[in-house]
Amino acid sequence: MNAITVLIISLIGIGVGYFLYAKTIDRSIIRPDGSKITPAKMFMDGVDFTPANRNVLFGYQFKSVAALGPIVGPIVAVRWGWLPALLWVILGTMFIGWVQDYGSIMVGVREEGQTFGALSFRLISRRARTILLIFIYAYLLLLMAAFGKIVGFDLMTNPAVPLGVLLVMALGMAAGHMTYKLKMDILVTTGIVVVFSFVGIWLGTLGPIKSLIVTINGGANSPVVFGSVTWAQFLWSLVVLVLCYLGATLPIWRWAQPINYVAFWIVFLGIVGGTVGLVLWHPSIPADFPALSSFDGKLGDLMALGPLWPLLFVTIACGAVSGWHSLVSSSGTSRQLELETDALYVGGGSMFLEMFLAVLSLLCATVGVGYDKYVALVGKGANAGVFANGLATFLNQIGVPVSFGLPYGAVFLTLMALTIMYLCVRFMRVASAEFLGDAIPVIRNTAVGTIVALVLSALLIWTGFWSYVWILFGGSNQLMASLALLIISLWLKAKGKNYLWVFLPFFFMFITSIAALLTTAYQVIAANLKGGLAIDKVVGNWIAGGLAIFLSLAALVLAWDAIRALARPAEAPKTAQA
Amino acid sequence: MADLPRPSTWRERLGRYGRALRDILYGMTTYEMVRDLRKDRARLEHLFVLITMGDLLGIPILPPYYALRLLPYVVPCIEGWRCCLLRERDLTDLTDFET
Repeated sequence: MNAITVLIISLIGIGVGYFLYAKTIDRSIIRPDGSKITPAKMFMDGVDFTPANRNVLFGYQFKSVAALGPIVGPIVAVRWGWLPALLWVILGTMFIGWVQDYGSIMVGVREEGQTFGALSFRLISRRARTILLIFIYAYLLLLMAAFGKIVGFDLMTNPAVPLGVLLVMALGMAAGHMTYKLKMDILVTTGIVVVFSFVGIWLGTLGPIKSLIVTINGGANSPVVFGSVTWAQFLWSLVVLVLCYLGATLPIWRWAQPINYVAFWIVFLGIVGGTVGLVLWHPSIPADFPALSSFDGKLGDLMALGPLWPLLFVTIACGAVSGWHSLVSSSGTSRQLELETDALYVGGGSMFLEMFLAVLSLLCATVGVGYDKYVALVGKGANAGVFANGLATFLNQIGVPVSFGLPYGAVFLTLMALTIMYLCVRFMRVASAEFLGDAIPVIRNTAVGTIVALVLSALLIWTGFWSYVWILFGGSNQLMASLALLIISLWLKAKGKNYLWVFLPFFFMFITSIAALLTTAYQVIAANLKGGLAIDKVVGNWIAGGLAIFLSLAALVLAWDAIRALARPAEAPKTAQA
Repeated sequence: MADLPRPSTWRERLGRYGRALRDILYGMTTYEMVRDLRKDRARLEHLFVLITMGDLLGIPILPPYYALRLLPYVVPCIEGWRCCLLRERDLTDLTDFET
């Protein structure tokens, strides 16, 4: 099948999903009213509630929700074959993804900007809010582990990458200084830092620089430090943790914000260039890359991942449906929506665009890299390297040499990962201060709280198997999605509206997520009991198994509360005044 | 009889799409920076109003002698200020914080 055919099928999926299904639901069930005042206009406190133009909000929503999830997920999922991965990306978004994002925004708008924490408390039960916070904390911890491993173990150990990343970060800080302190024009600042960023990435590809990095890494075959972790992996993951510390503690305008700004341009130009290259090249998916490999995800010499159901559906999270989106939609977007009628365009539209990004990533793995190279890269643990290689191939079609395209793709992914990792560490710090601050007052200290979050993350980064961590990350994410869909269902039920279009996706995601967590728990514990693993893998597997079981138990408690909430009668309709 | 709206030309349509694309790009890039700056300014303003007019929320703050002079400037934002200060906050609010 040609890559253009795949893109056309995706566009048809977007067309049918958005213009047919989503608009029908929007018109017939939710019935947004453009004349109704939204919380953004009602409160307008200048802090959280400020109305924004629909197109601006679309860009904001897309940038907030699109991270490494839609890129790495499809790359792992093609181990079951490219066809089931593609089908889940398209159908998942069409029937579940947009429903969650759009529903979260509408619930937030109609409930005066209340967050999902408050809504879970009100609509489900008191402890549902606590369970939501547990899901969020577990999600953040697993995200730090999954992304930390990708960046520290895979991307940064490539000798051509570290200098580019560090230079882009330095240029980001310079951009912050130029904008906020020197009050320079933003367009001039952008032009300067983006051009120098490309120069910095190119400098990292030079022979002497690469030799230096190889020397720092301890040679071409880096020595093992403990378990199966090499010196290079240990060092660069430590560097990543230090960068996260700075991102979580320094003022936003000094570090995180300007670096994110510069990183956006690197990512944006990469996606545009890659898409143009793909369209111009329009290759076919190689015949040796199976449309369906096996039910247990065994591709070539790679180890079997596990059963297609439930694991595929949590492996690709953000490209189809992701719980994180519901938090961004309810806490951020719903408080900036100018008109109710903008909700579908902003929430649903950005989800469909993210689906397109996931399809591009899938094509990177299949046509960009090809079967043999895919198996070789993934066998070495270079899942993110698959995307970098694929992007380099696409960029090569528009004249960008592969020697530049490859580190460019790696820097692209590293920056995307770090962007979200800073936020995670901040969140974890505040969460631990909130939960434990009364019992352990020192944890309220910014530095202490941040170090605690990073130590926990390091424990998971330096132990265990990445593929299991990724599945657990997806599982916790999808549990949050189930909770969001449950809240939307209960809200619709309370309003006397048809809620089946949300409830059925909730049911599917809930059962699938719990099944995925329990399957992973079984796999990791069985691997440990079988023996023969390095000590770091054994420790990591026990932690992963424990987390999976804990999250499953929390989900079952939630299920019980959900049943009771569903059994409650709907709100009595308000009587008209005499 | 009211004039019927003139059908838009392809230039006008192109201009609309161009502005939409510009706004989307703005939303992905600079919008957050502007929003964060506005938030910082609003927080400072709210803090100022709190320490000068905190008694409006029942906080036992003696209004300073210049409170009446400030009142005309504060009245337009009192509702937003009260909403912001009295709103119940949740850990999930942090997801809006610099994504």
